[in-house]
Amino acid sequence: MPASTSVEVQPLSEAAARETGAEPMSANPYRPWPARITSITPLTATEKLFEFRLIDERIRNAFHHEPGQFVEVSIFGVGEAPISISSSPSKGGFIELCVRRAGEFTSRLHEMQCGDIVGIRGPYGKAFPFEEMKHHDILLVAGGLGIAPLRSLINNIHDERSEFNKVTIIYGSRNPGEVMFRDQFEMWRHRKDFDLYLTVDHPDDAWDGEVGLVTAPFAHLEIDPANTYGAVCGPPVMYRFVVEEMRKKGISYDHIYMSFERHMKCGMGKCGHCQIGHQYCCIDGPVFNYWEAKNIQGSM
Amino acid sequence: MLYRVIDASELPGLIEAFLRDYEVIAPVRKGMSYAFEPVEDFSSIELDYPTTLTSLKKYYLPPRETLFRFDAREGMLAPYELTVRPRVLFGAHACDINAINNLNLAFDDARYPDPYYDAHKRANMIVGISCSPSSTCFCHLLESDEARSGYDLFLTDIGGRYFVSIGSVEAANILEAACNPREATDEDRRAFRASTRRRQEAFDEDIPDVQEIPMLMDAFHSDAFWAELGGRCLSCTACSAVCPTCYCFDIVDVLDPSGETGSRDRVWDACTSPQFALVTGGHNFREDGRERVRHRMYHKLNGFNANHGRYLCVGCGRCVRACKADISPIEVLRFFSEKGAEDAC
Repeated sequence: MPASTSVEVQPLSEAAARETGAEPMSANPYRPWPARITSITPLTATEKLFEFRLIDERIRNAFHHEPGQFVEVSIFGVGEAPISISSSPSKGGFIELCVRRAGEFTSRLHEMQCGDIVGIRGPYGKAFPFEEMKHHDILLVAGGLGIAPLRSLINNIHDERSEFNKVTIIYGSRNPGEVMFRDQFEMWRHRKDFDLYLTVDHPDDAWDGEVGLVTAPFAHLEIDPANTYGAVCGPPVMYRFVVEEMRKKGISYDHIYMSFERHMKCGMGKCGHCQIGHQYCCIDGPVFNYWEAKNIQGSM
Repeated sequence: MLYRVIDASELPGLIEAFLRDYEVIAPVRKGMSYAFEPVEDFSSIELDYPTTLTSLKKYYLPPRETLFRFDAREGMLAPYELTVRPRVLFGAHACDINAINNLNLAFDDARYPDPYYDAHKRANMIVGISCSPSSTCFCHLLESDEARSGYDLFLTDIGGRYFVSIGSVEAANILEAACNPREATDEDRRAFRASTRRRQEAFDEDIPDVQEIPMLMDAFHSDAFWAELGGRCLSCTACSAVCPTCYCFDIVDVLDPSGETGSRDRVWDACTSPQFALVTGGHNFREDGRERVRHRMYHKLNGFNANHGRYLCVGCGRCVRACKADISPIEVLRFFSEKGAEDAC
């Protein structure tokens, strides 16, 4: 007699017989794992930084991410959304996500309180080549919410600062009210080993940073192109201009990394929503180098 | 591969044997068309049928399938089990078997196993049957007119008897128990080859055979042709619904009437739908029909090749008939063919 086939999805307590978290995580990658909101920090009028802790210890221990990766966050009854990880892997146990209130899902997340439970699955995607970037100069360019994924890389570099040579960060916002992680940038400003350029398009009277587009600081940057890695993340229109500046400075195609935004619904290279040409942003990216991006139809 | 021959009169016995232990899905007449549906007896099966309206995709990736259940109040999962009864997909044409082979390539990923797809795949046995092409068939141009793998049995009609290719031990056991399969003779093999030749010669020669399709997809990526084609697209997504290899889906939460519990489902979606590449915040990465239609054709005729070395399109012709705006891969082949003719001038 041929046997029926089946898929069982049980609540956590009943799946608890397993020893490590890796096994149940890989057995059904569609399954989210409960995570508690442990901290909420308002950043701007529309952005909040959420800190999550996976409740089950084995799942928490099996969760390892790299800068540039993302997770799928679930609010049961509302749905799921891909959100890039803002925290550095050097600080384990917690996952920080910077979320702009924009659609139904993010509005519901913004209404949630510390102690509330969401579902998290992942991490997904190709990360920035952190190990490869060591012992090089690093030029990081973020525009708007693009700071969210880049912050994971910035913090990781910060925590292993001696492994990197010169580090330059350019972060552009439309106006001072939209600048995120100000305390953190303020802290770094006092360190001598980060070159910071905070720039806004429309300054107010209190603004003491740069004024102009995110590409403006390039005019007075001194770059050793053979020894520099670039990393870019921002709104879709920004990439072409920033990459052009980096190319003008002589940085090689394959040393310019960028993180693309798409709606990764499954995170596993199947559902098709995040496809760019023949690539899936969720598994082939979201971090691509410029050479890879150039070879994808419709990427930029 | 193991080959045997059975008489046509033995086929009802084979179906009866399947029906004892399996759900049998087979082509049946449905109004003006044909469809794959569960059958209860041999007599309702159409052995000689043109391509069905929809494909066998639904037996691997159902139009809507629950992934798990949840309790929204607590933010926790609730118990859920999906069970798939063993079934025989009987009477699949070569293009449809190749389509399933393509779906398998898309879903078989060691990094991210898909337990739901796998449950269906493991439950399905495939019995293929030979066919003769209709006017919208172009499987031969996309290397899909013969099924070389991916079936348990494949029956080729060689006149009053079937030449049976046996692909699995499970099917071999049933065949031997239900029929009296005999070794193929030289005459059987000659009849088999004649049948293959007849099929090969029956394709509509007006559909152009174009070489280097993936390269041409890249070369003419910015051509005005796509604006013309995309401008006609009604975004009805019928092409994807009938396509045996369109596997894109959406993931949605559905609350029960109580509002307290619900399920997370995956449902078919289509890249020709205007919202498909929309992200939160309002940016749409494929805003107009030109980009959407081109992307769909690109994935079928180039993108999948880059990842898996095969065309995703199997040339079954279903979208050719389903599209009310006459957009189809055949149009793309004609465009490339005409471009080639211009180059030669």
